[in-house]
Amino acid sequence: MTALATTFSSSGPLFQGRLAHVRCWAYLGMIAGMAGMAMFAGGGYVEDEYIFQLFSMQGVMWMGAGAVAGMGYALTTSKDKFRAFRFSEILVPWIDGIILMVALMGIFTLFEPNEALITYDDQSNLFSGRVVMAMNVFLLFSAICYVAYLFAPESFVGKLGTMTAWAGVYAGGSALLLRWYESYLLMGGDIGHAPVSNLYEVFILLFCVICVIYLTLESRHQARGLGAFVMPIVAAGVFFSIWLASIGQGDIKPLVPALQSYWMKIHVPLNFVGYGAFAVACAAGMAWLLRNRIETSNPNAKILSVFPSLKQLDQLAYKSVAIGFPAFTLATILGAAWAAEAWGGYWSWDPKETWALIVWLVYGAYLHARFSHGLHGKTLAWWAVLGFLVTVFCFVGVNMYLSGLHSYGQLT
Amino acid sequence: MFSYNQTIKPILNRLGSMPVAILLLVLLAVASVIGTVLQQNQDQTAYLQQFGPTWYWTFRALGLFDMYHTWWFMAILGLLMFSLGACLLRNIPRFLQEMKNRKGTLSDSARKHMAHKFDLTLDDQDKAVSTIKESLPGWDWQESKVGDVLWLRGDKGRFHKWGYISVHSALLIILIGGWMSVQFGFRGNMAVPEAGTESEISYLKGTSIEYLKMPFDVRCDDFSINFFSTGAPSEFRSTLTILEDGKEMMTSDIIVNEPLYYKGVRIYQASFGDGGSDVTLKLHRLNKAANIDKVHGQIYTKFEDPYSTVSLEFQDFRPYNIENMAEAGKPKDFKDMGPSVDFVIRGKGLKPVLIRSFQDPFIMNDQNQGSMIMVSKSGDARDFDTFLLGLDFSNPKEWELFQAFVRKVPNDPNATQKDNLNAFRAALSEVYPEGNPEDLQMLGMRVLQALKIIPQMPWPFVPVLSDYEQKYYTGLQLAKDPGMDVVWVGSAILVLGLCIMFYVAHRKVWIRVEEIDGAANLQVTGLSNRNPIAFEQEFEDLRKQIETVYGLEHGPGNEQETKESV
Repeated sequence: MTALATTFSSSGPLFQGRLAHVRCWAYLGMIAGMAGMAMFAGGGYVEDEYIFQLFSMQGVMWMGAGAVAGMGYALTTSKDKFRAFRFSEILVPWIDGIILMVALMGIFTLFEPNEALITYDDQSNLFSGRVVMAMNVFLLFSAICYVAYLFAPESFVGKLGTMTAWAGVYAGGSALLLRWYESYLLMGGDIGHAPVSNLYEVFILLFCVICVIYLTLESRHQARGLGAFVMPIVAAGVFFSIWLASIGQGDIKPLVPALQSYWMKIHVPLNFVGYGAFAVACAAGMAWLLRNRIETSNPNAKILSVFPSLKQLDQLAYKSVAIGFPAFTLATILGAAWAAEAWGGYWSWDPKETWALIVWLVYGAYLHARFSHGLHGKTLAWWAVLGFLVTVFCFVGVNMYLSGLHSYGQLT
Repeated sequence: MFSYNQTIKPILNRLGSMPVAILLLVLLAVASVIGTVLQQNQDQTAYLQQFGPTWYWTFRALGLFDMYHTWWFMAILGLLMFSLGACLLRNIPRFLQEMKNRKGTLSDSARKHMAHKFDLTLDDQDKAVSTIKESLPGWDWQESKVGDVLWLRGDKGRFHKWGYISVHSALLIILIGGWMSVQFGFRGNMAVPEAGTESEISYLKGTSIEYLKMPFDVRCDDFSINFFSTGAPSEFRSTLTILEDGKEMMTSDIIVNEPLYYKGVRIYQASFGDGGSDVTLKLHRLNKAANIDKVHGQIYTKFEDPYSTVSLEFQDFRPYNIENMAEAGKPKDFKDMGPSVDFVIRGKGLKPVLIRSFQDPFIMNDQNQGSMIMVSKSGDARDFDTFLLGLDFSNPKEWELFQAFVRKVPNDPNATQKDNLNAFRAALSEVYPEGNPEDLQMLGMRVLQALKIIPQMPWPFVPVLSDYEQKYYTGLQLAKDPGMDVVWVGSAILVLGLCIMFYVAHRKVWIRVEEIDGAANLQVTGLSNRNPIAFEQEFEDLRKQIETVYGLEHGPGNEQETKESV
């Protein structure tokens, strides 16, 4: 258990100093090897096939050579200078996490049913469904733990909440990767595509993004009390996605021609970094409002000690927006670049585009209110909450109520 | 005359002020919401039906049906551009001044309010200064002397105000790019039938359709669709040739995500449809002679039957009809029903209906179930009812057999099953003198089914598709967008500026060095405009570094030094 806790909190010798530095450069070398293979290896780069190529002997060779070169560089250059390893210490846990996710996915592929039993028409026997179920359980349990933590700050439920949230992230991430793999098992590999093509898949992605952003803020700012506001939002999403799966929206389906582009793999996930960050900002806003109310009615309430301070919550909301706003801007711009390639123009005033603009204006105004007018506190807390409602409409509402070019996420 | 300071400056100031900008942004957001709720650029009659005359004309006068191109929407965007420009004009000189202006000293009262500070006394002033500079590599240092006191000021991320400047100018650039796109670009559609040539695009302007001639011709050499085995289309592909004055300039394939680029115009695969396929139908006459007439037609044309008042209007042709054959709730079972033609049948005393006639018989469980026809009484393809005609009309023998059977079957309500059977046998030996066909039992059942359904037909013949030569049209979208590159440049600056704004902190350090009794007295103060937690760490590191170098604390570095000296 302690080993597990160490892994999740990413401390210990593996994550510090020279060891982290060497590992980081090994990873960077590996990534360079991947890029090298895409550019120079025989056969050339073919979209999704490339991912399978990575796990072949050839891929292992390229990545291994890159890793060795990176390690060599790290060993020859690293000086025991003050703060020399800070960059590596920040980067390493992230890459560790990604590798753990890929490894989990690799293990899960062993549990796939026999090839003869895999059919397009009945996808219920695919293993990713079970991993998603596990994610749902982890995330719901985590939400309960975080809420309980508000009332029992001394007990272990807080830690348990953090750990199950991480477990949910790994389950969700590896389930998505597994779905990617599974999409190639169906119909002879004809319909293989990245798992960001429909509402069900992006919901799983959204949970992971919200959790990762929140958990990072939690560990950096010791703000575990915020979890009681973030995780219920995730839990609500979990129920929605369970409903989606129950009406048959969870199946892997072929991509319509408009989505068959590498842009999908960039535009969609980046958008969800934005949405996820805005969700965390909303949670911080709600926490601010609740704390404010408790403070005015009962300044000595015991529960206040669990909450981050008003100032800290204000900061956390801003930090989330500072993560989300640039990501959302970039995602919208890349979406425009895709539109210029697929729809005949970078901007068509499609409902989804227009609502993305509205979301952008809302958070742009938030930032102006904060910096140009020096607004803080209550107004901004409400702003973060209402801004997220606009975001939710942009994400789900537009698909449900308005028709337009972004009809892929529609409920049918 | 108007002087700049008295007239234009106050206007610019007002226009560039935050309340005006916020008002414009709110107006933009609200107008945008209207445009998404009210579907844009639909059929005018549909609007009229939906809203009734009063609201229709009100909305139309306001341009709400093509709202994003109305003068008032453009005016909001234009004013926003002016507002941004004025804001930049007013603030850029101030920001540049602030960036240049670095006060080397720090007053005691200012220091009192700062969170990050520490004092040290060290032996050697020069060594102290160089240690500090070394432990903050990449910082920008400035030294000044006030009396005997040496002031050091270090800056990191001093350019962060460029973030604000570039973000706001990027927005201006993007708006200018958008304006250029609207002003000097075009975007419209053309439909090119296979082997046909087209050079004109059509587009909506307000409520009317306008046309624009391209400086080249587009010929569609081929159009094809690929399908997944679920029946969903996987790819639409057109082979296009660009012609100028009859000369072939280039030939290229386009698919949905890969447009063609020719002389500043992008050609996109947008849609497709029937480009006037040739179809051949067999009309099985329901008269005494029961003869079969072959008629040729083309989609979008009309066939008038010379022997009756009936006419067929051919509307659509499909080479595939992939349908889910499974019952509701069962695993899906996709099956191609083969080619079909849609036509409206009209005639004196007949209710016009839409018919979909299939060329191939319907095969289920490897058994021929006879030809199929779909009829929609409303004329809407969603209201199709399916009828099995019993006979397989692709086999002319079966029609003969049916006719022979009809002639022989006793026209008597008291006829027994046996009589019918005898009639059927007689018909069989007449049509198949060389021996009976294989699936005799099924054939018998189908002929009986035909006997039930065919006499009910209101038309003087049974029309069945028998042959076709398919021809698609490819729906292309042509767009010229001279503002696009400007928008991309603006976007790149925008993202860069946002990264500077959010992730680059302007950190400052002041160090006051005073020599007292041969010892250097250092007062170090730090300030960061964002990310205080990271700065606290950095500032703490600075202190530790100095202490380590001077051996003021038993840090790990200190121990190492001792070991080496031993």
